[in-house]
Amino acid sequence: MSVLKTFGLDTIEAGKSCKIVKLSAKDKLLQKLLDMGFVNGATIEVVREAPLYDPMELRIHNYILTLRKSEAALIEVYECN
Amino acid sequence: MQLKVALAGQPNCGKSTIFNMLSGIHQHIANYPGVTVDKKSGFFSTKKLDIEMVDLPGTYSFSSYSLEEKVAKEFIIDENPDVILNIVDASSIKRSLYFTFQLLEIGKPVIIVINMCDVAEGRGIIIDDKKIEKILGCPVIRASAAKGEGKKEILAALENVVELKENYKEFKINYEELEPLITQVQDEINFENNEMNKRWLSIKVLENDQVAIKLLEDKNPNISEISHNLREKFHDMFDKDVDSFLASFRYENSDVVCHKCVEETKKGELTLTDKVDKVVLNRWLSFPILLIIIVLVYELSIVFGYKITDYTWPILGAIKNFVADISPANDIAKVPMITDLASWLVNSAVALLNYLPIFFILFALIAVMEDVGYMPRMAFILDRVFKKFGLHGQSTLPLVLGGAFVGGCAVPGVMSTKGIADDRARMATIMTVPLMNCLAKVPFYTLLLGAFFLQDMGLMMFYISTVTILTALIIAKFLTGTILKTRETAPFVMELPPYHLPTFKGVILRACERVWVYIKKVCTIVIAVAIVLFALLQFPGLSDEKQEMYNKEETKILANFDKAVSKTKYYSLVDTREEVASLLNFYDGYRSKKMAGSKSVDESYASKNPEFYKFLKVAKDDKDAKKINTALRKLSTGRNTILRQQKNDKIESSLLGMAGRALEPITQFAGFDWKINVAFLSSFAARESAVATLGSIYETGKIDMNQTASDTSLDSVDDEMKNQNERPEETMSRNSGYTPLHAASIIIFMLLTPPCIASMIVVKMQTNSWAWMLFAIFFPFTLALVVASLFFTISSAFALSGLVAMTYYYLILLAIVVIISFIPEKRINWTTKPKS
Repeated sequence: MSVLKTFGLDTIEAGKSCKIVKLSAKDKLLQKLLDMGFVNGATIEVVREAPLYDPMELRIHNYILTLRKSEAALIEVYECN
Repeated sequence: MQLKVALAGQPNCGKSTIFNMLSGIHQHIANYPGVTVDKKSGFFSTKKLDIEMVDLPGTYSFSSYSLEEKVAKEFIIDENPDVILNIVDASSIKRSLYFTFQLLEIGKPVIIVINMCDVAEGRGIIIDDKKIEKILGCPVIRASAAKGEGKKEILAALENVVELKENYKEFKINYEELEPLITQVQDEINFENNEMNKRWLSIKVLENDQVAIKLLEDKNPNISEISHNLREKFHDMFDKDVDSFLASFRYENSDVVCHKCVEETKKGELTLTDKVDKVVLNRWLSFPILLIIIVLVYELSIVFGYKITDYTWPILGAIKNFVADISPANDIAKVPMITDLASWLVNSAVALLNYLPIFFILFALIAVMEDVGYMPRMAFILDRVFKKFGLHGQSTLPLVLGGAFVGGCAVPGVMSTKGIADDRARMATIMTVPLMNCLAKVPFYTLLLGAFFLQDMGLMMFYISTVTILTALIIAKFLTGTILKTRETAPFVMELPPYHLPTFKGVILRACERVWVYIKKVCTIVIAVAIVLFALLQFPGLSDEKQEMYNKEETKILANFDKAVSKTKYYSLVDTREEVASLLNFYDGYRSKKMAGSKSVDESYASKNPEFYKFLKVAKDDKDAKKINTALRKLSTGRNTILRQQKNDKIESSLLGMAGRALEPITQFAGFDWKINVAFLSSFAARESAVATLGSIYETGKIDMNQTASDTSLDSVDDEMKNQNERPEETMSRNSGYTPLHAASIIIFMLLTPPCIASMIVVKMQTNSWAWMLFAIFFPFTLALVVASLFFTISSAFALSGLVAMTYYYLILLAIVVIISFIPEKRINWTTKPKS
């Protein structure tokens, strides 16, 4: 398997999909993200940014979630379109 | 048989719709002791069962440490329900199953209700519930609660609980790598309780769950250590954290179940929610739409609701009259204290109850927006702005309801902060909502603007309405940076649920619930405060000389009356003091009821006392009656003048008046004299009374002259009304000796001070702390005094006019807000920087 380039989720453009590689969050945020389904290998689609460019709207496990970019930056993903 | 049912589910799964469907209106809402999370329970009976159903707070998981999860867990541990009813959203079944696994592990019988099946079907999601039932080994029921479908099946399943309990098979996920550790904990801990599942507790211990650890600490003092060591061990062995491992494992499992039991036929197609969001969350359209919705809510509730109060007012007026009727009657110029107290209390309560229609509409609209799913979207749109000031996207609605434009009410505003996930932002919002312009402050502004800023009313009103938001942002930033700094914050991880049509029943129920809470508060605490204020205004009362003086005046007007009527043929009807008093009360009662707009007054008064009635509606040819009528009017006016002067004297010499005077040395820097102080102090029971108090303080003897002039126009109470009072604005600008600068200073003070006792009670409810309530009173009060003093003193020094000073004040605030918005946000304590 070739080594894939990974990004922070906050840099992914609207309309693109990506897969989770790693969570750098800790404690409360980590637990929250896990509970919301941010587990390794889960697919995330970036639906859109908020009108003021932050937070961002994501689709994960077939439901819609919003995340501030500062938190999205802690989720390492690779693009899979 | 008694049955205790716990209702559990993730947020937005339609749990409350199920709850309402099952329990009808027999429900009870309270706070869990010590926390602000709602505890909702309903009682109902079937043929075989008496069911107590407790709605657990909606949680995404049972594993982390949010308040809701803690409350839900503690309920299961402490109250030991017979069965858990797990509501699952058919449209997002994978995530729901993740939660279901955690419930199944608890070791209690679980009944799964797949809700909103109709919606899911519309989205092309086909669920094989029988298969799920087989895999998970617990009953699975399909329902569409919004349509009332599934009620019978759920009740049938509940009646089967005994059987379910007897045939209960323990549910077990095989956690593979973690299993040896689970067994290890299970063997090590000392715990004898047949109701609780040891395996569940062991897993919780490995999750470092504080509720479980606290429960076990008694008999296992080293339990924290065990948890810590095993978690470390697991990390060393597999290079994985227990938490992520468990989450991944559960998600994988629910993925497997979904794969087997759920089929999606319309995958990839846009749902209605997607289409609507394309418009509602569009970069360019979102703000206009938001504005329209806010204006609509404002118009419907505040403006339209205010009109409705025209219709509800007579009802409250009738209550007032009823109380007035049953309290002891007035003597000529002596009012029994009990009557005084009764009318004071009724007035205080009625002033607040007057807002009920507004609240009802407002709460109903909030419920609609919550149900539809617009609330989180509103937060999504505005989060970036509010974040800069330590608030949260979800602060939008509370601030708007509180009166971010002109005229709202802090009570629903503070109440609607409940949903804000971030504790620090929630507290900051609770503290800033009372700064908004509440509806009852508006008459006060109008009074001042009318009296001192007649030319620039529009501009001043603009300043007033926008200055509140600027102030709120600054204060929010200040609070979150100082005393709220250490408060817990929560990550902004918020679901945007699919749009739903709200159910009529759900909306009405919720609106009624919240209105009822308000009524209860008004009737208890507000009344208590009103009594205290009354006492402060009553005592120590008039001095003997003053009393003597009023007695003399009373004798004088009585003598005048006697002289005027002594030659008439009706004299025998009014030749004693008692008779005159009752005629006078008859006349005043008639007048006040007539003014309240009651229609049948004439008939009822005519039948009550036909003799006296002759003097009210004078027949044209009855000269003697006309004489009495004229004398009666004079007497009534004279009595009112005495009563008013008495009241003013009483206020001046009362404890509250003394307090007002005592504050004068401080408040003089803000330009306030003792009268303003008293008005502010007394207005705390209800903002409306600020205008009333000021009005009564500035009333003068002027009225007598007007009254005499109006004597020629006979009989029409309306005419009398028009002539009797000069507008309070005019009285004030003429009699007070204030300048527009004084008025501006008063306005600034008013802008910053919290609205009323009712809103403070709600602050107490939402923060669950008396200390915060006191803070919410004294912090703005001190700030208001300081700001108004600086404003007044500096403006006076530079000889600025009221308008110019206000403009500077506005620009300064604006500048501060802009500067603050450039300050970079501090990183929040629960995140760590990614290693790059």
